[in-house]
Amino acid sequence: MWYSGLKIKTFRTGGVHPHEYKGLTEECSIINFPVPQKVIIPLSQHIGKTAKALVKKGDMVSEYQLIGQKDGKISANVHSSIPGKVVDVVMACILNYQVLSVVIQLEGEFKTGNLKKDEWEPLKKEEILKRIESAGIVGMGGAGFPTDFKLSPPPDKKIDTLLVNGVECEPYLTSDYRLMMEKTDEIVEGIKIVKKVLGVRTVFLGIELNKKKAIKKFKDRLTSESNIHVVPLKVKYPQGGEKQLIKAILKRQVPSGGLPFDVGVIVSNIATVYAVREAVLFQKPLTERVVTVAGTIVEKCGNYKIRVGTTVSEVIKEVGIHGPIGKVIMGGPMMGINVSTVEAPVMKGTSGILFFSEKEARSIDYSFYKPCIHCSKCLEACPVNLNPSMLSILGEMEKWEDMKGYHLQDCIECGCCSFVCPSRRPIVGWVKAGKALSA
Amino acid sequence: MKIQELSKGLFKENPILVLMLGLCPTLAVSTKAIYGIGMGAAVIFVLTCSNVIISLIKDFIPDKIRIPSYIVVIATFVTIVDYVMKAYTPELHKSLGIFIPLIVVNCIILGRAEAFAAKKNVLDSFFDGIGMGLGFTLALTLIAVIREILGAGTITLKLLGYGWIVEIPHLNPMIVMILPPGAFITIGLILGFSNILKKR
Amino acid sequence: MYRLSVSPHIHSKASVSRIMWTFIVALMPAMAASIWFFGPRALYLEIISVATAVITELLTGLLLKKRITLSDGSAVITGLLVAFNMPVSVPYYVPIVGSFFGIAIVKQLFGGLGYNIFNPALAARVFVMFAWLPEMTTWNAPLTTSGFSKLAGFNFSIDTITTATPLAIAKMKGMAGLLTEFGSKMGMYKDLFLGKCPGCIGETSALALLLGAGLLLLTKIIRWPIPLSYLATVVLICLLSGNDPIFHLLSGGLILGAFFMATDYVTSPMTPKGMILFGVGCGLVTMVLRLKGGLPEGVSFSILFMNALAPLIDRYFKNPVLGVKT
Repeated sequence: MWYSGLKIKTFRTGGVHPHEYKGLTEECSIINFPVPQKVIIPLSQHIGKTAKALVKKGDMVSEYQLIGQKDGKISANVHSSIPGKVVDVVMACILNYQVLSVVIQLEGEFKTGNLKKDEWEPLKKEEILKRIESAGIVGMGGAGFPTDFKLSPPPDKKIDTLLVNGVECEPYLTSDYRLMMEKTDEIVEGIKIVKKVLGVRTVFLGIELNKKKAIKKFKDRLTSESNIHVVPLKVKYPQGGEKQLIKAILKRQVPSGGLPFDVGVIVSNIATVYAVREAVLFQKPLTERVVTVAGTIVEKCGNYKIRVGTTVSEVIKEVGIHGPIGKVIMGGPMMGINVSTVEAPVMKGTSGILFFSEKEARSIDYSFYKPCIHCSKCLEACPVNLNPSMLSILGEMEKWEDMKGYHLQDCIECGCCSFVCPSRRPIVGWVKAGKALSA
Repeated sequence: MKIQELSKGLFKENPILVLMLGLCPTLAVSTKAIYGIGMGAAVIFVLTCSNVIISLIKDFIPDKIRIPSYIVVIATFVTIVDYVMKAYTPELHKSLGIFIPLIVVNCIILGRAEAFAAKKNVLDSFFDGIGMGLGFTLALTLIAVIREILGAGTITLKLLGYGWIVEIPHLNPMIVMILPPGAFITIGLILGFSNILKKR
Repeated sequence: MYRLSVSPHIHSKASVSRIMWTFIVALMPAMAASIWFFGPRALYLEIISVATAVITELLTGLLLKKRITLSDGSAVITGLLVAFNMPVSVPYYVPIVGSFFGIAIVKQLFGGLGYNIFNPALAARVFVMFAWLPEMTTWNAPLTTSGFSKLAGFNFSIDTITTATPLAIAKMKGMAGLLTEFGSKMGMYKDLFLGKCPGCIGETSALALLLGAGLLLLTKIIRWPIPLSYLATVVLICLLSGNDPIFHLLSGGLILGAFFMATDYVTSPMTPKGMILFGVGCGLVTMVLRLKGGLPEGVSFSILFMNALAPLIDRYFKNPVLGVKT
């Protein structure tokens, strides 16, 4: 085969093979989503402290204006995605918890088009990092780790490898794939920028085999680059998890409680790399991202470039939904969070919005779980080699403290255990509760 | 008041079903109805007498050696029972075997001495002894009857040539019920049922 | 408002009922073999046993106010396995009491599906075995003509107790006695493999059982560690003690026990290491009972014994969590 000669890698422990559903949006080119009338921009779209609000009710803001100031080391700037008037600065219900958010009503003119392109080669490392920081870039794979912080690891950790995560192992999602297909050159440029910041020699770009076109495209593009290697990966969820990806490509094990830089690796997501390039070349803040909108009841499935803060109701209006909506999921179906209201906004880490019909939603009803039959399917599926069965039993009995003895904190909440559980137990729910309540 | 001391041992504080005391002889001798009654009678006698004596002398017993003192009192009555049974009901004595002398360390008797007789007056202790003894006898006989019916197909109420042996017709006895597992299963089920009744 | 639930929002097709019904399908060849070799009475026993199990599950479920879990088929499995573990000549009340005991006491009173400590079918078998030892150890020769048809003396109408099954013969008279019954060694292996020998109705035909076990292994419902380590231990002990390993593999309830009972999810360990230890323990106890014990067969006792140790094994044989230094 054309990719023969490349070694196909994967991680060994656990993993599952959910149905992919990627065909719905795989061939949909990225479309610009219309400008929303109103945006709700949460000031915490990242891990760490909530950004400090810089605007108040009644202020006029322009596009790309800084509205939330980074607060402390682990935090990120937040910018307005549309010009307009600040209607309110309130606690809003985002992904089922309350976050201070800025509500902006569209008003006034766009001033886009005046972004001028810089050359990045002459820029110093510090200048690049500063631009990334001021653009408010965070990891766009879901977790939302501030990128400037990630790219400046402590000096005692020697970083030798950069992994670019093009795995996109969640079913339905194709936003990274479309970016890879349509913005190949830009991504390669972004990789080079990040590589320069980190000062690493080798870069691996991991792509799963269900995206053969992307592998081929990057392989052809990278023939001249000796230090950036495309690594085809066997399709297996959750290969896009940092630790699993490091294990699959480099065979290194991130220690419990540690971060990738403990084993000399930095992992960055495709969308993040793309955003880094835009931030460095155009000094453009992160105010929009590619989002996969899919589901069997969606009329116009596709990949949309959506402004941060656009609410689900605007998305529904644009794509058209037939039939009653059972569930709205922000993110992928395995790890995504489903929201209860149409007022939930798209955030920097939202890679997909999925609409499930009433029937699909009802088919997974965790309120009717059965007792654990100790079938050990979850032990086989767990990519961290935990004992999810025991965690679920302890969780069911609300023994949160005891869960710690079964390495609760090492759980990556990938959902493999719940996915395979014949008793359909909400294991991830108990783990999340345990993490929150045993601390 | 006194009636309460008497009746509490029967149901509310039944030594076997509620206090879970004296399970060792219960499991071992409850294979025939008559063994339950015989064992129960011995326990009633020892329990009542030792309760009374201990209640009488409680003020003279130094606190540090009270358990050995109780045991001396109890052992005296157990010896009496042992010899009386050996003399008049040798058959029963042989079947109950080691469990008669072991009444000395039966936790019901020690437990009542420590928890009740050493604190209350003579009359209360007397009624407590009778009540607890009767409760023990009742529970033991109940278990024994169930096990005997299922395990041997009979109900033996015969001693010294008097009484009857009732045979249940058309029953193929389950030998396991008069073996130790049968005792555990029976006592477990009875405990379960008594807990259900108590909750109501 | 839309539905709220925790992730993941999609699910594999796995479900308890799917597993259990596949398990029942896997037991079908053995059931067919039991009827083929022991006649319609085997079928009656199976029907009675399953019916009792199902009714008991329903009634205890209502009484204990549990969610009725009939549709998951676990009661059917228990009922079938209880019947499989009985000689064809037992009176009909034996499977009734057995299934009732297995479901009501061993399973439901311990908390129902997923909470029982012991395998209900095996505990039921041991219970009725000690309740009615003569009935449970009276063996009939299979209906089909075989080396055993000439063993008319072992018919259940005569009060013979434990001299009929191949294991019992091996225990009483050794290999020489077996050879006189079966003719030749190859003939013995063939008869044992096909199931033409006295024994419990579901355990004699290794062929039928292996067909079902193959299905279970292919559908990944059972995993190889327990059966493999169990059988391997038996073979090893046979070789070390100078017994015939093939005879011990094919005779008695070993195949049924290793593939269908020791692998019971609820009562066996969950980690691969624990499973191997569990299998080795089962094999050890089985062979000690077979070679040195008072009864000719030890499979049910060994599995029940290891059932009791399963939680302990789970506690000490955990999977190494990735990234955690031990």
